[in-house]
Amino acid sequence: MIFRQQRCDSCNVLVTLVAFCAGLMSYHSNVQADGNTASAVITFESDIQPQLTRLGCNAGACHGKSRGQNGFALSLLGFDSDFDYDAIAREGRGRRVFPSSAEESLLLRKATGQLPHGGGKRVDVGSSTYEEIQTWIRNGMPRTPADSPKIVRVVTEPSSRSLIPLEKVPLHVIAEYSNGRRRDVTEATAFQSNDRTIAAITASGDGIIQAGPVPGEAAIMARYMNHIAVCAVTIPLPGTVPDSAYETLPRNNAVDELVWKKLKLLGMLPSPPTNDATFHRRAFLRTIGRLPSVEETQAYLADQSFDKRKTLIDQLLERPEYADFWANKWADLLRPNPYRAGIKAVWNIDAWLRDAFRRNMPYDQFVRELITAQGSTWNNGATVIFRDRPEAIEIGSSVSQLFLGVRLECAKCHHHPFEVWSQDDFFGFAAFFSRVGHKGQGLSPPISGGEESIYSKPSGQLNHGRTGLPVLPKTLTGVPLTLGPDEDPREALAAWMTDSSNPYFPKVMANRVWAEIMGQGLVDPVDDIRATNPASNEALLDHLAFEFRQQGYDIKKLIRHIMTSHVFGLSSTPTERNISDIKNFSRYYRQRMRAEVLLDAVNDVLGVEEDFAALPPGSRAMQLWTYRSSSLFLDTFGRPDLNQDPPCERSVESTTPQVLHLMNSPALNRKLGLDTARPAKLAASNKSSQEIVVEAYLLAYNRPPNSEEQQIAIAFLSEGDQRRRGIEDLFWTLLNTPEFSFID
Amino acid sequence: MTTHRNCEGLQRRDCLKLGLGSLLGGGFVDSLRVRGHAEDQITRKTSCILIWLDGGPSHFETFDPKPNAPAEIRGEFQAIQTRIPGVLFSENMTKLASISDKLTIVRSVRHDQNNHGAGNHYMTTGAPTRIPVSCGAFVSFHPSMGSVVSFERGARDGLPPYFSIPEMSRSGGPNFLGARHAPFVVSDDPNQQSFMVRDVTIPKDLDDGRAVNRRKMRSRLDQFVRFHDQAAGDPVMGADENYQQAVSLMTSAAAQRAFEMHREPGQIRDAYGRNAFGQQALLARRLVEAGVPFVTLYNGGWDHHSNIFPAFRTQGQKLDAVVARLIEDLDQRGMLETTLVIVMGEFGRTPMITTLPGSTTPGRDHWSSAISVLVAGCGTPRGQVIGATDPRGYAAVEKVYAPENLVSSVYTKLGINPDKILYTAAGRPTHLVSDPRPIAELM
Repeated sequence: MIFRQQRCDSCNVLVTLVAFCAGLMSYHSNVQADGNTASAVITFESDIQPQLTRLGCNAGACHGKSRGQNGFALSLLGFDSDFDYDAIAREGRGRRVFPSSAEESLLLRKATGQLPHGGGKRVDVGSSTYEEIQTWIRNGMPRTPADSPKIVRVVTEPSSRSLIPLEKVPLHVIAEYSNGRRRDVTEATAFQSNDRTIAAITASGDGIIQAGPVPGEAAIMARYMNHIAVCAVTIPLPGTVPDSAYETLPRNNAVDELVWKKLKLLGMLPSPPTNDATFHRRAFLRTIGRLPSVEETQAYLADQSFDKRKTLIDQLLERPEYADFWANKWADLLRPNPYRAGIKAVWNIDAWLRDAFRRNMPYDQFVRELITAQGSTWNNGATVIFRDRPEAIEIGSSVSQLFLGVRLECAKCHHHPFEVWSQDDFFGFAAFFSRVGHKGQGLSPPISGGEESIYSKPSGQLNHGRTGLPVLPKTLTGVPLTLGPDEDPREALAAWMTDSSNPYFPKVMANRVWAEIMGQGLVDPVDDIRATNPASNEALLDHLAFEFRQQGYDIKKLIRHIMTSHVFGLSSTPTERNISDIKNFSRYYRQRMRAEVLLDAVNDVLGVEEDFAALPPGSRAMQLWTYRSSSLFLDTFGRPDLNQDPPCERSVESTTPQVLHLMNSPALNRKLGLDTARPAKLAASNKSSQEIVVEAYLLAYNRPPNSEEQQIAIAFLSEGDQRRRGIEDLFWTLLNTPEFSFID
Repeated sequence: MTTHRNCEGLQRRDCLKLGLGSLLGGGFVDSLRVRGHAEDQITRKTSCILIWLDGGPSHFETFDPKPNAPAEIRGEFQAIQTRIPGVLFSENMTKLASISDKLTIVRSVRHDQNNHGAGNHYMTTGAPTRIPVSCGAFVSFHPSMGSVVSFERGARDGLPPYFSIPEMSRSGGPNFLGARHAPFVVSDDPNQQSFMVRDVTIPKDLDDGRAVNRRKMRSRLDQFVRFHDQAAGDPVMGADENYQQAVSLMTSAAAQRAFEMHREPGQIRDAYGRNAFGQQALLARRLVEAGVPFVTLYNGGWDHHSNIFPAFRTQGQKLDAVVARLIEDLDQRGMLETTLVIVMGEFGRTPMITTLPGSTTPGRDHWSSAISVLVAGCGTPRGQVIGATDPRGYAAVEKVYAPENLVSSVYTKLGINPDKILYTAAGRPTHLVSDPRPIAELM
């Protein structure tokens, strides 16, 4: 005890003590005080473990692998100090360290390559690291006393920085301790940039940020002893923009203000607003996932009122297609494979989702009803998520990812190197689902036809994956909870998730909605929110989350808030001052329609119906309740692959097979030539070629053709025998151009 | 079934029926080979067939058995002799063992990405993932080898330069090289009588003149504005590239012929095995013959956390038969000198055999410290083993190479400088491979 007190209160005394005992004490260079006194004794947790991490000894492919390497196992990146200390100081009959002859220690002989080492030479004999480890061994491998100051957090100095291309600036990483001490740990810190070409830490190891040659942004992550800090680097566009250029930009609501603020930081300017026809088409596709009709387009273009954009958005949000379109997006995240969960169960969750969006169920209620669902999988669709993921650890990791944007899955087995979450967090979170009871017929793929009841059991326990001990439910920010037998832990979880102090809950949904409307998330991927994957505009995301919560988690209000911003109505055409912007929303980003929307659009333009298995005639692709309904079209344009678990995000990148499918697929050509399809009907009508061209343009592009387009198109059409053929070819042509398949 | 036939007998009979003379007899086969070489110098360049074993095949059960290790590491199988003195394969690799004098095994590739998402990315692009990803991830931070070859080499006759059969591997995409360099996926089964590559031909009831007229009409009426500056990242530019590729594929007779499996003699089809994987390998050869520089043969189901031994008796033997046939066929046609065949997956498997909780049969888990890769052709020395793992197969310990070195070897053999700098859409410079040193022993 005296030893420890001396160490904490006065390092000088301790240095003398140790020097006396060991006869050797070198000043070690990588521990420097920031105005405070240095910790001179080398101890395991505070000095040796960071080195093991920095040198890669405890990396996933080396001794950090769960079963270790050649009999020597360390915890991944040093998250379990007791385990690591035992492995080094006690296991292997103490062969790994020899205090009496430190340089003969296996730990040093292997690490320096003096003995064959699978991981090669990691340390040079005589280097400061070598000396440090050697001294530590010679001193009898002291551990860091339990009551010694703990690292509270790690910060980077600076925490954000604007640089000019190719500039170099030093970055310091400071560990802050519970006793208020600050220590520069830059040299023992591992760095990673999320975009090395924009900015990275040079290989010299002394924390120099090197800016790349082109403007942009990068987040440089610093990791020291399971603490993470991020330094945000910005390299603005060269040249200056007068402040007045920003002051005069329109501000419909706070979204605009925050986007302009970010653009100003980068020296970028937004594109001008887009034209009415493009806005009209964009608004339809983004709110209800379908093209406007000829009449709707004509009426909108003729409307002279100044607030017609706003009126349009209000009207669209009340359309019945809204529910199908948004439920369909959520189905991507929650829809099980019917071969696994059973047809009836899959149909039920689909119906539940559609109903929720039809009623515009507040999002907090939506999540609460899902995660606390009880009852039969044949009656309450919300219960199906528990049928699909019956284990607490499965449903736990998907709930945290879907609704909190937190990927806990890695933490199941080990502390995640780029996350703050630990195994305790993972199991504590999963334990909320440890009392979910299942009655009835469980999963029995490939049919799984039975009915199952989900209920809350009076008891139930989840054991920690590493310790094997029972785990109490614990939220990501709270303490372990003890619950009585009549309490459902899921209720406590729902209360915490939807509580107004929860930092994650509204953000994830705000980001998802933003991504659906703007074509790209502020955080990308949309459900991976963490310090090391920052939003392109953190202030905007915070604002959207705040607004969403203030408005009672009303999804339609959030959509309206985003869509009535000036930013939503910007043109997609880049200007000189934003051409390289691909994530700050200085212009609208074009995106291909997703598979269902595109298929419905093709059918609407041609005036034909699709015949889906397991749906009534006349149903739209947007109403499909299972991905198992076969459609070569939807497969070609991409829908979730149920063979992947979890199914991956849809890709909207266009591919050659998609082009070929639109050009040549027998199914599409059959539709073009149907007697009941639009081309045949137009041919049979007494409309003139000009009228037909105008109608085709309004159907496919939702705008009238300009005079040049009209002339060219009319020239391709002919009268008599060939009239119908020409019209079919015109429709084929329009469907095969990007102006049709892209949201502009 | 044909797949069970004896390999040697099959070769001889095939050659006789084709009138090519016996394998060892020289004659016509040799003259074919000579002609092949002559052609090379004028038009033909090198190609690569990557046989991607998705899931990560065990090194123990393929090319790096450890007969002297304890049973819990050694596993159920015996090691068998190969044609390379002192080199053993696992017992299900009989056919490859019998042609081991035509190939090289690298036993000492290792990396540090122990999950499928990251392992796939590292092995197929030569770059580790920029941010940590997990097993379920399909990520792309860097262009895949196939996409780079497509970008650098292109193909002739409208054929896409990069095929992936029957699907794309997770990180097999083009990343910043653009959609034009995404693989052309042939998902239909070439073993089916009705096999045709869908949508690449004009619909039957449309006479050709009309299809041409439609395309003409399209070229006149497509007035959608494009943002040509690459930095703008306009996805429509990618769609245009796809359209061009689609049209040239539809209009090239040579390209169309490569897909017509029925043109291949029945004996050859039999020899590859009348199963999807066998015929996919044959399709890969036909594509390479037609000038395609990169074909990925994706073969899933190698993630043997359980049931590893029964799996290698079926799946392993099929792999052995198909790969051996492909290499021999390429060799007989004189194509092996210009065609690189690579067989690999994300990683090797753990030395210790374990039964996972919830499983009833033993297996091995992910293990990136020791990976065996089969390499043949394109000037690769025949009949050698490069590097070694320790006696229990835990780690590559001799001549240890990283995925960067392997990928650099592929690029070098395909005439692409692995040290070159590519530019992303925003103009950022990126090294093709961060460590551009190829594996010297392969060159």
